Amino acid sequence: VIVAAPARTLFSEYRPLAGTFDELVDQHGAARPHALPLHRLLSGFAPEELARCQSLAERVLVDQGVTFSVYSDERGTEKILPFCVVPRILAADEWARLEAGLKQRLAALALFLDDIYGPQRILAERVIPLEIVLGAKHYLPRLRHVLPPGGVRVHVAGIDLIRDPTGTFRVLEDNLRTPSGVSYVLENRNVTKRVLQHVLEYAGVRQVDGYATELAETLRSVSPRGQDHTQMVLLTPGAYNSAYFEHAFLARMMGIELVEPSDLFVDADTVYVRTTVGPRRVDVIYRRIDDAFLDPAFFRPDSLLGVPGLMRAYAAQNVALVNAPGNGVCDDKAVYPHVPAMIRFYLGEEPKLEQVRTYVCADHDDRRYVLERLPELVVKSVDEAGGYGMLMGPQASAAEREEFRTRILAEPRRYIAQHRVELSTCPTWDAEGHMLAPRRVDLRPFILTRSTSAGPSSWVLPGGLTRVALREGSYVVNSSQGGGSKDTWVMQGARS
Amino acid sequence: VISRVADHCFWFGRYVERAESTARLLGVTRELVFDAELPPEQCWQPLVIVSGEYPSFCARLGIEAAGNGEAVQQYITWSSENTVSLRSSVRAAREIARTVRDTLSLEVWQEVNHLYLWITGGEGQRSYTHSRQEFYNHVRRCTQLCLGLVRSTMLHEDPMRFLWLGVMLERVGQIARILDMHHHTLSGERPHQVVELSLWLCLLRACSGFEPFMRRNQGRVSRAGVASFLLFEAQFPRSLRYCLRSALSIMEQIWPGKEGVGARPIAALHALGSWFDALEPVARTISIHDLLSAVVDRTSGVCAVLGQEILGPPRPPSLRSAEQPA
Repeated sequence: VIVAAPARTLFSEYRPLAGTFDELVDQHGAARPHALPLHRLLSGFAPEELARCQSLAERVLVDQGVTFSVYSDERGTEKILPFCVVPRILAADEWARLEAGLKQRLAALALFLDDIYGPQRILAERVIPLEIVLGAKHYLPRLRHVLPPGGVRVHVAGIDLIRDPTGTFRVLEDNLRTPSGVSYVLENRNVTKRVLQHVLEYAGVRQVDGYATELAETLRSVSPRGQDHTQMVLLTPGAYNSAYFEHAFLARMMGIELVEPSDLFVDADTVYVRTTVGPRRVDVIYRRIDDAFLDPAFFRPDSLLGVPGLMRAYAAQNVALVNAPGNGVCDDKAVYPHVPAMIRFYLGEEPKLEQVRTYVCADHDDRRYVLERLPELVVKSVDEAGGYGMLMGPQASAAEREEFRTRILAEPRRYIAQHRVELSTCPTWDAEGHMLAPRRVDLRPFILTRSTSAGPSSWVLPGGLTRVALREGSYVVNSSQGGGSKDTWVMQGARS
Repeated sequence: VISRVADHCFWFGRYVERAESTARLLGVTRELVFDAELPPEQCWQPLVIVSGEYPSFCARLGIEAAGNGEAVQQYITWSSENTVSLRSSVRAAREIARTVRDTLSLEVWQEVNHLYLWITGGEGQRSYTHSRQEFYNHVRRCTQLCLGLVRSTMLHEDPMRFLWLGVMLERVGQIARILDMHHHTLSGERPHQVVELSLWLCLLRACSGFEPFMRRNQGRVSRAGVASFLLFEAQFPRSLRYCLRSALSIMEQIWPGKEGVGARPIAALHALGSWFDALEPVARTISIHDLLSAVVDRTSGVCAVLGQEILGPPRPPSLRSAEQPA
């Protein structure tokens, strides 16, 4: 009897990396229980079939113009965010725990912001060092005692999570200013529907369609003029901004107008938009512009950018800004190590989500530790994002490490360090090897918080943005540094 | 509608219509060279003249090149130095579509994005090399589909009206140019009657007017008949009269009041319409070239007034990098 060699299937040669958690298979290469249906279906694919799905998906994204602008290029070159059709999959019970942890964290961060822009109880009781908070670059002392309309400051949050080798999710950073990426979550799902429809139907995956409606209701809930006559706009820096696709996408999904700063003006502390039939009042601004560019009269008298008088209108509670200005203090990586203390202080609870051990260079002992162990650590600037201002100690050259040593000694408050976490991997299409290969991923869930008569109420989009480091051995998932994305599937739990 | 958005919609309409018209003109002229048995320079040079690019074309490529069909097509189709080239128009339409992405429907955006990717990627170039007529037809189909989708998938309110206003006013200028081009072609040596007939038929085809004209005139083709049809036929959507009236009616829908915002462009367009109507009885006695030049100039005047009315005084440039990538 001649036994034919088994055909090469997608998973026949897939092996997870040693010392790393894989999202889809265990250390022996067997599918995790919640991923069984997906694994079984994909195992039936020949590599050529997946390659075909992959190129179809890329074609769909280009045709729809799902692109981001590349920053360094003045002519506004556009690229698609590289997309891998193999989804990242999360079990229902695991997601439920994450969701509870995210809500808890957001609740504490919101109370923290109310406190530091109000009575500053947490500073008076020395739970967090005063100089860390008041010395943060994005703390805005002039906003102290200014109350946001509707009592909400963090309407839209994106919390970056990573998973360590034991399978534990850890918060890596908080984004409470203008977190981006949600449009890719929705578009990635659209693409999956086009190229893997039968897989999606079969697997039982939670919908993400509700995001735009939830966001619109979130905006409406903080309208200073009552919710029936609310005029809402989305404020974008313009079509050359790297996240412009997302701005236009969300405006379209919500049916609200996309405006640029020059479309708005302020008269008698009230905001108006210029229209072809004269000025029209604006109540809620979902702004995708950094604090510093909102209002030249408030932030930069020498600047022509922004809407002069906007901050006065905000302080007079005539317009809601989503998110509220001043939230950047929570994104500061030297404030981050104190979030568990905030949760205990404000909520009297133990944190449900783990974090990553962080060494704050402003602290004398931590700084000495960091400088002694630069080759082992990842050093980050406290107020930069997008993978900029970082030193990856294990990969860096001696000269790069020396440069960071000098920088840390010059401005210790600006730097923190962490041990590199072995990010979990997910099977990812490797176009060169024509096979699935383990690539590292993170996860950015999005949390919306609206104002209700019973106080702020949060909603978490099932899943979030899974970013993937497409290069072999890479740990950097940022789109600006060669990262891509995946659809994130949260499985439906047992129906109750 | 936000003033900036209105202005962008207006220009989106103009650029898409301009791209269509340019593709029409090139395709039809190419057929003319085969059909009319005219020397190439008599067909191609007028096309460069009516595009308004004759001086810069000659400065770059020399006067001789204006008689070279390939050189003219290359310049009018692809040149990035030529701001009214087919590629420049498509690029501008798509660039604007991106800045008002939320106002256009998904279908409209996809169509203009497809055309842009087709033209700027290799596909368009291949089609241009291997099947020239198919290339022009594809551009026309895409632009027509795009404008059709505007009417069938967008809300019929001000953004769409501004867009359509741009289409109509651009079309006025383009028809006037096409007509004028034939004036140039004929103004040389008096061509043979068969040649003249094919010129007029070609002109009608360039304006999608062949069948409507035949229906109106029971198959009788004359120089005066064709000119009169393209100038004054009120029911033909590519006649000057139709486009001017349609533009006026759109403006009156946008600004229903007699006074206040919108009064100036309405008055300007109204004056142009009255002047044009008064010409009909005397059209055969005056120089058609002068008439068409006046139409083009006065339409530009209306567009300028409209631009001031929509946008007001100039404002600072838009913000480029205020949101950092996260």
